Amino acid sequence: MTEIVSIATRPGRSATSEMVRRLPEFLMIWVPLLLSAAHLISFSIWTIWISFTPSTLIPVSGWVGLHNYNSVLASRNWQIAFDNLLLFGIAFVLLSLTTGLLLAILLDQRIRGENVLRTIFLYPLAVSFVVTGTVWSWLLNPGIGIEKLAHDLGWTSFHFDWLVNRDMAIWTIVIAAIWQSSGFAMALFLAGLRSVDSDIIKAAQIDGAGPIRTYWRVILPTLWPITVTVIVVQLQFAISAFDLVRALTNGGPGIATQLPALVVYDLMFQRSQLGRGAAAAVLMLLILLAVLLPYAAWRYVRQRRAAHA
Amino acid sequence: MPITTTRRRLLAGSAAALALPAFARAEGAVKPRLTAISQWSAGSDGAAITALGKKFEEKGGIWQHSPVPGFTTDMMNKLRAQIIAGDPPACSQLKGPEIAAWSKIAPTVDLDAVVAAAGYEKVVAPDLAKLHKPAGKWIALPLQIYSTNMLFLSKRGMDKAKADKVPVTWADFNELAEKMKSAGMAYPIANGGTRADDGQKFEASLAGISPTAYRAACMNLDKKALEGPEMKAAFAQTRKISDWCDPNVGVQPYATNLKRFVDGDMGMLIMGGWAQGVLKNAGFKFDDYVITPGPSDNSKPVFLLNADAFIFWQRKEADLQAGQMLMAQLVMDPAIQTMYSQITGSIPVRTDVDLTGEGWSDGQRTTAAALKNAMGNNQAVLSLAHNMAQENGLTAAIIDVITEYVKNKTIKPDEAVSRLAEAVEGAR
Repeated sequence: MTEIVSIATRPGRSATSEMVRRLPEFLMIWVPLLLSAAHLISFSIWTIWISFTPSTLIPVSGWVGLHNYNSVLASRNWQIAFDNLLLFGIAFVLLSLTTGLLLAILLDQRIRGENVLRTIFLYPLAVSFVVTGTVWSWLLNPGIGIEKLAHDLGWTSFHFDWLVNRDMAIWTIVIAAIWQSSGFAMALFLAGLRSVDSDIIKAAQIDGAGPIRTYWRVILPTLWPITVTVIVVQLQFAISAFDLVRALTNGGPGIATQLPALVVYDLMFQRSQLGRGAAAAVLMLLILLAVLLPYAAWRYVRQRRAAHA
Repeated sequence: MPITTTRRRLLAGSAAALALPAFARAEGAVKPRLTAISQWSAGSDGAAITALGKKFEEKGGIWQHSPVPGFTTDMMNKLRAQIIAGDPPACSQLKGPEIAAWSKIAPTVDLDAVVAAAGYEKVVAPDLAKLHKPAGKWIALPLQIYSTNMLFLSKRGMDKAKADKVPVTWADFNELAEKMKSAGMAYPIANGGTRADDGQKFEASLAGISPTAYRAACMNLDKKALEGPEMKAAFAQTRKISDWCDPNVGVQPYATNLKRFVDGDMGMLIMGGWAQGVLKNAGFKFDDYVITPGPSDNSKPVFLLNADAFIFWQRKEADLQAGQMLMAQLVMDPAIQTMYSQITGSIPVRTDVDLTGEGWSDGQRTTAAALKNAMGNNQAVLSLAHNMAQENGLTAAIIDVITEYVKNKTIKPDEAVSRLAEAVEGAR
């Protein structure tokens, strides 16, 4: 920026040539931004409109008021999906956060082979959710996976049937999701840990703080902004989770592991009830906004404070 | 099948092609072309439709089939997109009441003349025919039939249980399952745990207990029948079946169990005739198992109809119109239906096809005989689990209740009955 400003204020340059010179910047930033914003906004508005119409197989005009919303909210599928989302969202975010932080702290001990370990922990992120779901569905299947392995090794009383147990099946999704994405949290936390000013750490050590105390009182508080970022990123994944669940349990056993995105897909494309599907999609958007708006507000306040300081 | 008939039909087809717009005639006869979409891309289904395409080409047509592999819904999404874009395929796979629903969103081809010329209506089950002429005119043509409630018995499983009597009623079935269990089979029933599988367990139970109650409840959604005593009995029977299934199978399909079934570690499977094609593809022999009609308490076979069909969408292009007529003739042709069913393991839609000859299995002969018998006794009903009885939205709402009941053993049959009635009310 400073360079641009200095060039712009240099005397002897016409305004036109300056505009031509900056044209690529505008094209590169504004065109994609406007296009994606137009996409996002127009399709969102369109979905909201559809959610108030009696559309079934194809979109039709007409007005049914809140009928679609009422029937989605009253359906068992949605109620189960919403309860599951609460459980899955909270458990997944907390556990992947703590796992990621723990891994980052352990890796931060200047150990040998850090690069190898970091790659191993980050690697699951490179695997698609469908692959993760399928692999875990085999591992967790009592007939062919971990339980069978334990039985074959002689531990016959071993019992691990969460995948086919409708009360526990939602936890298998939590397990697979943590395996997939705690590496992401780890990478962010590790970057945060490395960027802590070493002078502060040295000062703490001179003051006589032990390693645990140093982490707890000095280093971790500086990770707060990263924590919030991780929480928001993971939460929006949790809310829109689809492929992982589809491959791992497909909403089953029965309808025990339904999640909102599955309900939307199911209504729109399997039941051919576009109106209700759109209503469910709008409800999902509202849940997302409930997470993202406070985050945006928090960032805004922080930036203002930083600017004032 | 007399080959002359085919030739005559071919002539009629070319005559129809000739009676097309002037520009086409100026260039001589237009070459029939067919754009088709279906989900059949692989396995016996893929092989069958490829063979049909070959026949189409042999008759001088241009075959443009775009399979959309995966779920039926993926294929329907493509169909939806093409219809909205104003460019529907000349013909597409579609079945059951969805034919009526989809025919309201785009114009279809009136097939009455070509169906009448082939004398097709006389040889199709009436309930089935009705689905393909929703507004009184034929707009779609059924291609092959499966029964969703055939009972597969493992020969080795029967030997292990020292049983030689094929079960006829649900009481026989339950007795045999117990016998197999005491003979050391931990899980005598080889069914899987998909939504459709759970739906089949229930529909086989209800239709076997009372086809009349099935027709009233599942096909006509009669409120009294939905809350009737047969429903409760059917849920109780469904629970028995699912208790005999391997719980570790979870939501996997029945195919996971086929080896155990053939080896005699599992004894029985309630499945559609397509399982025969799957068994054959997996390398098992016809002697490994016996196919018999699903249990029926009045001892007469009950046939839960599942039929694949093609719907024909209106197109302006002369070559596509000619292609549609040629395709319609082929689909109704007994020789083509024979070829198709012999590849997939289904039975022909035409009830006048002779299955005694080579190329048919005992299972297919039993199925065809069961259909004839069931039609005579008014016991041929439309399958709910395979989207033949209701539109997809209603079907899904009903299957939700059934699959939850199967997986959650704390739900009592009484409770399931009232939940199902509520779900029907809510989805309407």
